[in-house]
Formats: sequence, C-alpha cells, structure tokens
Amino acid sequence: MDPDLSAPHSMGTTIIGVTYDGGVVLGADSRTSTGMYVANRASDKITQLTDNVYVCRSGSAADSQILSDYVRYFLNQHTIQLGQPATVKVAANLVRLFSYQNKNMLQTGLIIGGWDKYEGGQIYSVPLGGTVLKQPFTIGGSGSSYLYGFFDQAWKDGMSKDEAEKLVVKAVSLAIARDGASGGVVRTVTINAEGATRNFYSGDSLPLWHEELEPRNSLLDILVSGASPEPMSI
Amino acid sequence: MSIFEYNGSALVAMVGKNCFAIASDRRLGVQLQTVATDFRRIYRIHDKVYIGLSGLATDAQTLYQRLVFRHKLYQLREERDMKPETFASLVSSILYEKRFGPYFCQPVIAGLGDDDQPFICTMDCLGAKELAKDFVVSGSASESLYGACESMYKPDMEPEELFENISQALLASVDRDCLSGWGGHVFLVTPSEVQERTLKGRMD
Amino acid sequence: MEKARVDLPPKGGFSFDLCRRNEMLTKKGLQLPGFRKTGTTIVGLIFEDGVILGADTRATEGPIVADKNCEKIHYMAPNIYCCGAGTAADTEAVTDMVSSQLQLHRYATRRESRVITALTLLKSHLFSYQGHVSAALVLGGVDITGPHLHTVYPHGSTDTLPFATMGSGSLAAMAVFESKYKEGLTREDGIQLVGEAICSGIFNDLGSGSNVDVCVITKGKTDYLRNHQLPNPRTYISSRGYSFDRGHTEVLSTKITPLKLKAEVVENDAMEE
Repeated sequence: MDPDLSAPHSMGTTIIGVTYDGGVVLGADSRTSTGMYVANRASDKITQLTDNVYVCRSGSAADSQILSDYVRYFLNQHTIQLGQPATVKVAANLVRLFSYQNKNMLQTGLIIGGWDKYEGGQIYSVPLGGTVLKQPFTIGGSGSSYLYGFFDQAWKDGMSKDEAEKLVVKAVSLAIARDGASGGVVRTVTINAEGATRNFYSGDSLPLWHEELEPRNSLLDILVSGASPEPMSI
Repeated sequence: MSIFEYNGSALVAMVGKNCFAIASDRRLGVQLQTVATDFRRIYRIHDKVYIGLSGLATDAQTLYQRLVFRHKLYQLREERDMKPETFASLVSSILYEKRFGPYFCQPVIAGLGDDDQPFICTMDCLGAKELAKDFVVSGSASESLYGACESMYKPDMEPEELFENISQALLASVDRDCLSGWGGHVFLVTPSEVQERTLKGRMD
Repeated sequence: MEKARVDLPPKGGFSFDLCRRNEMLTKKGLQLPGFRKTGTTIVGLIFEDGVILGADTRATEGPIVADKNCEKIHYMAPNIYCCGAGTAADTEAVTDMVSSQLQLHRYATRRESRVITALTLLKSHLFSYQGHVSAALVLGGVDITGPHLHTVYPHGSTDTLPFATMGSGSLAAMAVFESKYKEGLTREDGIQLVGEAICSGIFNDLGSGSNVDVCVITKGKTDYLRNHQLPNPRTYISSRGYSFDRGHTEVLSTKITPLKLKAEVVENDAMEE
C-alpha cells in the first residue's frame, strides 16, 4: 500500500449546517487526508468570515482556504464601508461569485452559516459549480451521502438550540462511523443574536454506533485483559 | 535515453590546500557516435573562477554566453570580479528562472575567494545549489566519479598531489562510461598561477 | 533610427521559452531528467517556551545520494525558520524569496516579522503555481503572539499543529510523535524527541539519511544546532588514502598562466603635516 503523499491535500469531509429557532449550528469532522494518509487529524474546517458569519469547507484544502481568505478580506472591507456587520446573504453571494468565476480552477464546496438582524439565522450552500442555495439545513462533503435519509427523518422545523446542536453532533458521528474519509473529532459553531460559540466533542466522547468498539489505548490491552484470542485454524 | 546522456560528459572539481582543480573529459558525441575529441566543457569566467557545464552541449554553450554577458555587466558596474559565491548564486538564479523549461545542464563551479580559500559547488539543472567541502561531480560518468572521488580524495592536498589525484579519479571513471573519455582537460588553480593540462587517455 | 536591442537581465519571474523545445525533445523519446529532490524527513514541535524544528541531511537524485550533509532548515527571519522537502531548487528558491520579502517588510515596519506573515506569503506563492512549485514545508517561529508551527503543502494548503512532520519519512517520524508527544515538553525533552523522530526517518525511510539538524527557537533567541547528532559516521576511509607518484598521469600539454598579484596601495593621509 502506497500512501500517495504527493496527492493534493483534500478534505474528505462531513460538513453540516442547520437552522433552528433563533440561529444556526454548523458542524464538521476534523480529518484532512493526502491520498491514504491522514495529514491532520484535528483540523478546523469551520472558518470565521466575520463576527457573525462562518463557513464550513470541503474538497481541496488549498482551494477552500484561499477562497475563504479572499471572502474574509472582501467582507471586512465591506463591513468598514457599510459601517455595520455584513449580512449572511452578502457573504454567501461573495462565495458564490468567486466559486462561479473560477469554477474551472476550484475543487471546493462550502456551507455558509450565520445570523444577521434582517433575516435571522440562515444557511446557504455553495456546491462545486458555484450555485447558491438557501436552505433550512444542508449537508456536504463525502460523508454527506450517508446522512440524507437521516436528515429527512430527523430534521424538524423550529428546533431549540440544544436540539439542533445534538442533531449535528449525532449526524457527524454517524458519518464518521461509515465514511472512511471523515474522522477525528466533531467541531461545532453555534451562531445567534448573542454571537458565536465554538464547541468541541473529542473522538472518544462520541456515541458508538452499530458494531463499533469501545476505544482502547492499545490493541495489546485486548490480549492482556480478556481471554486469549482464538488460534487461527486452517 | 536521458537528455543528459545525449552528448556524454564527465566533470569533477576537487579542493586542495589553498588551491583547487577542475577537470573534464574531451569527448563530444551524439548518442553513441563521437563527433569531437577535443571538446571543451570547462570555461573560464575570470582568473580565479571556472565553470564546467555537463549535459546538453547546445544548452551549455548558450548558458555560457549568458553567464559571460552577465559577468561583463557586473565588471562594468562594480569594477571588480565576481566572488565565486556570488557567481554561483547568479548561475542558480539563471537556471531557476527556467524552472518549467530548464536548460539541460548540470554546472560545476570552482573558484578561489578573496582570501584564496577554495570554493566548489554543483547544481542540478533547476539551480539547486550543493556546496561541498571536498569534491563535486556531474555528467554521464557521475556515478563512477562519485565512487572514485569518495575513495581517492584526501583533505589538504598540495597542488601537484591534487592534480594526480583528480586526474586519476577522472581517467578511472571515464573508462567505465561509454559516453565520455578521450583524455581530459585539467585546470589547476593556485593563488599565483593557473596550470591547464591536457591528459592522455584511452581512445576507445 | 532603430533602437539597439540588448538582452538585459530579467527583473524576475519565470521564463517559459524553452518549454516548447523541451516538449519536442520528450516527444522524440528523450527522457527529461529527474531533479534533485530532498527525499526527506522534516519535523517540528511546540515545547514549553518555543518551537523546535528538525531535519535529516540527505539530498537525493533518483537513487543516488547527491549530498550527504545538506542543510534543509532554511532561514526566514531571525525568529522564524523553515524546513523544506520536495524539489530542492523549489524549497531553496521559495524560502529565499519569502525571507527577502520579510526583511524588506521589517525595514518598512521596524518590527519583528510574524510567522503568519511568512505563512501567507508562502501559501499565496505556492497556490498561484497550483502545485507545480513542489515545496512541502514545516514553518516554525516565535513572535509577539507566541510560538507557532505550521505545515505548508505544495498546492498551498496550510495546517496549524502542535507537532508536525513532512517529507517521505513523515510517516516514520509521525509514529514517534504520536506515541511520545506531550504538551509542555522541556527544551531537553523536546530536542530529544525531535532527534528520535528524525532518526526514525533516517533509519526507516530510504529517502532520508545521514545526520540530524535541529533548530530551537525561543523568545528572543534562536539556536541552530547543525549536525546535532551524527548517527552515521564514515567508517570506510583508508587511513593512508591513495597517493600517486608525481608525473604518474600522462600529460600531453601544459599551459601555465601566472596570475597577477593584487597590489595593495597604501595612501598617506593628505592632511598630515
């Protein structure tokens, strides 16, 4: 097995954005991989754009970092010119603009989430081609394919903040369990009228799903603690 | 076949006590056909700095012309000769400029600095400098030169001893390379004089 | 009158005029050469009062060891250093370029450089070349905001980590870090762990070898420990060496050019009376 270390750095990812009654919750896993190798097991894929707008990044790490750096730069300038915080819609539209204009160079999908005084909490998703979609909730990255059915069933209009955050953490942990390209910890950002709060859920605090094992320090512990494993029979 | 082996070449520079020697073979070929047996690969930049260019001969000559041009501009502006370190940086930046369409040359640079301290260095064709304290090699015979120099080199050799040493290392190495040979050129540079010698070698 | 055209030295940037010819040569079946790479182990970690960087010292050209003791920890600023892996020419050029930009920035602002400035300059250069400038870097330094450690990939993505490895030996070195790294290591333990990680690369990765270079950066002080460990000393050299008699080599012709000695002119002080 050859871990292709020269492959571009990409984030096989699970990212989620959910609106609730009064704000939004963004969630992401923390795995960044180059080919087969996990280059960073504790990365932060939820990037701040302004005080009240954050973005979840997926796809090529280089592309999504540069894109969000540019958007942050223009939003800061916009905030100064406007004399008041930028709206989530403006942020999403800037992301769309750069994604669309450079669509043949970029390999990245983003979820923009935030709160403003005009429209409250909003989630926008900007997938590969540079469309912008305003949605009550959205999921992205390679892990999202395991979550569509779950969200159809579990998402409800008018959830409380805690319900929304629990849903996001549960969903990311489900995707981590099934998607090889997602893993590590769960990071969330909750944004509402009061501001933004970051939360962190370590890998061993996540719920265990079907056939998952309790975390152990070492495989040797299995030999020491339990009965000796069955000898291999031919 | 690699582009570096199209013309064939062997280049080596060695450091002695307050002196250095730079040597090359004399063959110019087009693949396996020999075209010239008195070809020069080592060029004088000024009395105390020499550059050997292995690899594709057409690029070597073009590169040499550009280097001479840049060195003359430097002399006009600064009214002095380039230090070997400065010259190495110049070569490196000229090569790196062509990062995505390189000259197929692997230079070997040797010179005496202001305090007569010898300086030798080689680069790959993109201009990645490799400074060495003992010897540097390049060309299609570089693999055998590595071996020969690694065992024959001694620190602090006197000029005549250095000459015998570098010549034997070169001759031994080109005998194991089809693409280089036909004797050699050796420049032996000391603070007071430059000796340019032509070596007799195998003619096959 | 036609203006005389002179090929003036370029002001910077790449030149692509040989690309078409080289493409033609490859189409004719001539292999393009491999460039000098640093099949490398480079690492970095944050300890209690700063950052420690480490690197092996082998440079390779295909299977050949081109340099047994090269320097892979590059200077960026007095308080910032950078380990480089990938194509040697690229790591050298990109770090040199950014370090000179940082120096000019310091002249303009009269303030110590920040690690984030170096990081942004590096990543924007690498991103604009879309991975064709193949430099993989571990950037470390201590500035007014504290110690920082980043990794930079050839495509321009960056990570911020408490411990990092890069290069072909990164897996071997990361195995050491993952099992032994703790927060708040002392200087001695930090250097020890970095040495261990590099040695793991040297002995388990064929692209890495020779010696261990270490660079310790703390607030206001940088220690570059060149060849901190020499785990592979040369043992095969003959004590007497080869010696050849004078005139052993057959010489066809000799041309001797005496060099002019530099005359030093001592000028008397004109004001003296």
